[in-house]
Amino acid sequence: MSNTLCLNPLVQLKIKIIPPQFPAKKSTKSVSISARLQNSQTPSNQQEQQLNLSVLRFTLGIPGFDESYLPRWIGYGFGSLLILNHFVGSDSATTTQAQLRTEVLGLSLAAFSILIPYLGKFLKGASTADQATIPEGTEQIFVMSQNVSDAQKEDLAWATYILLRNTNTIAALIVVGGQLCARGYWSIPEKVSKENLLDWFERQIEKIGLKNLKDNIYFPQPEDSALWEMLPKGTRSLLVQPVVQVPKPGSNQIEMVEGFVLLASSMSYAYSDKDKAWIAALAKKFGGNNLFTDL
Amino acid sequence: MEAGSLLCGSIPWNPKLRLRRRIKSPSQRLFCRASSSSSSSSSNSGYKGPKPRRDWVADWVSNNDDAVRGLPIYVGGASLLAVLLNRTVSGIAPVADASSSQSRADLLTLGLAVTNILTGLVWLSIRPKAISVVSPQGVECQRLYSHVPDSVVAELLWVWESLSAVTCCRSLIVVYDSRCILQIGFAAKSSVGNEEAVAVDAIKLMEGSLYQNAIKSGAQSYLANLSLYPGKSELPFLPSNTQAVILQPLGEKGIAIIGGDIIRGFTTSDQAWITLIGEKLDATIAKNVKNLPLAVQDRI
Repeated sequence: MSNTLCLNPLVQLKIKIIPPQFPAKKSTKSVSISARLQNSQTPSNQQEQQLNLSVLRFTLGIPGFDESYLPRWIGYGFGSLLILNHFVGSDSATTTQAQLRTEVLGLSLAAFSILIPYLGKFLKGASTADQATIPEGTEQIFVMSQNVSDAQKEDLAWATYILLRNTNTIAALIVVGGQLCARGYWSIPEKVSKENLLDWFERQIEKIGLKNLKDNIYFPQPEDSALWEMLPKGTRSLLVQPVVQVPKPGSNQIEMVEGFVLLASSMSYAYSDKDKAWIAALAKKFGGNNLFTDL
Repeated sequence: MEAGSLLCGSIPWNPKLRLRRRIKSPSQRLFCRASSSSSSSSSNSGYKGPKPRRDWVADWVSNNDDAVRGLPIYVGGASLLAVLLNRTVSGIAPVADASSSQSRADLLTLGLAVTNILTGLVWLSIRPKAISVVSPQGVECQRLYSHVPDSVVAELLWVWESLSAVTCCRSLIVVYDSRCILQIGFAAKSSVGNEEAVAVDAIKLMEGSLYQNAIKSGAQSYLANLSLYPGKSELPFLPSNTQAVILQPLGEKGIAIIGGDIIRGFTTSDQAWITLIGEKLDATIAKNVKNLPLAVQDRI
């Protein structure tokens, strides 16, 4: 029997994983493209702003509707109408070259309009209004290796909590110094019992060789990250951040990988550069933490 | 006067603890958008999973932000002109009516062109302005209360390293149980003229309105543009040109004061992380430090 510490995920720290309260950092402003608005302006921008471009920022007031996707819906709608107009509005005998040119131009514009929200996602200051949702077929778990001290338990519990709370993560797995903590919504095979959960995670980790990872890896799109059996169903983004043991000062030791932090999300492009920076900082806590490395 | 206790060898000097310059884009130092490129594959020997592909579109947009923001305007504008030119060249009257199939197609295309132009104008109007970093005017210091256990020291130093690496934090002060247990980063230079940093008078700080309001509310207080706040005078230990400050209460007995070098430099994400880090710090300090003894200097 494996030494598994199964914790009741509903007690301990509060986790707001159920949407729409998850995660905690979302802005509720409705703008065409969400971005950090700066009040101060350089003189070179003031003239541009004096054209009162702000009147273009409107909201339809529909709750839950992201206006940044409006060009896409207009592209779909108008593109469909163009095709309808071509086949229903006139017969092939009376379709002129001019109309064909217009329709080709219109369909190209429609395709570009559909692409616009995708490009807008990568602009500086853009923040997604999407929220991670809990995919079906997952269950909430909170397991931890049993032979951990109280201080280690606290650190692992807090770290998984803050990752689930402050990022778009739905499932977090931290492995440090042979100790493992999994929390969040995972897809556990039916044949795996609660007592064998840790063994199952260990086997999956060995199969992929995650403990040998020295650089962080990020899969922002679903087709890349849906390859691992251990990931929750519906995973669309995956980030793995190694935990590197910082050698003691004055020693001749080299940096060694002590584990990793694995985060899965149900939305694509879930982790911004800021998120990744914070996650790396959190991983450093375990790397420099003697509680784990002196075992 | 509560002066804290200078480090003075009670904590071994650790070169890694030297104040590092916050890089402008920590994300570029730590990883790229699609990290683990093929050149690093040799360092990941033993890893049998898939390698992430490089996201060319994302990289192109990020590197050409200004051009991409204006792209819909050019596309829409050119399309609008093309529609009018097409109509003119074809000898069709330039009137907007939907009576013919040609006109309907033209109107739909014009609608799409206008949508693109408006989107481009919106992107331009909400372009974030780059606010410049203001170098703190002061001296660098690293003061740690000597009676703090090692576990708390490690936690405090981790908090400092994280904040200075990820955010615009350049100064960090932690006051707990009427003691300044950490003052690190940039501080105001003492008027004595010996290049020393102004020490934190914890008692005076706790009597001030900033501290009282933070503890009373129990919530984080973000002074995004410190120069606008008269309460700035209660923080004389911070460099005079500190741009933004976050006051994070640590339970009911302490406060963390985080000074930044950019106006409105702390994002909502930073604030959320700092809130939860503050709770952890409070728990760690409260568990490991029952009552902070008076420092030798305090025995008057």
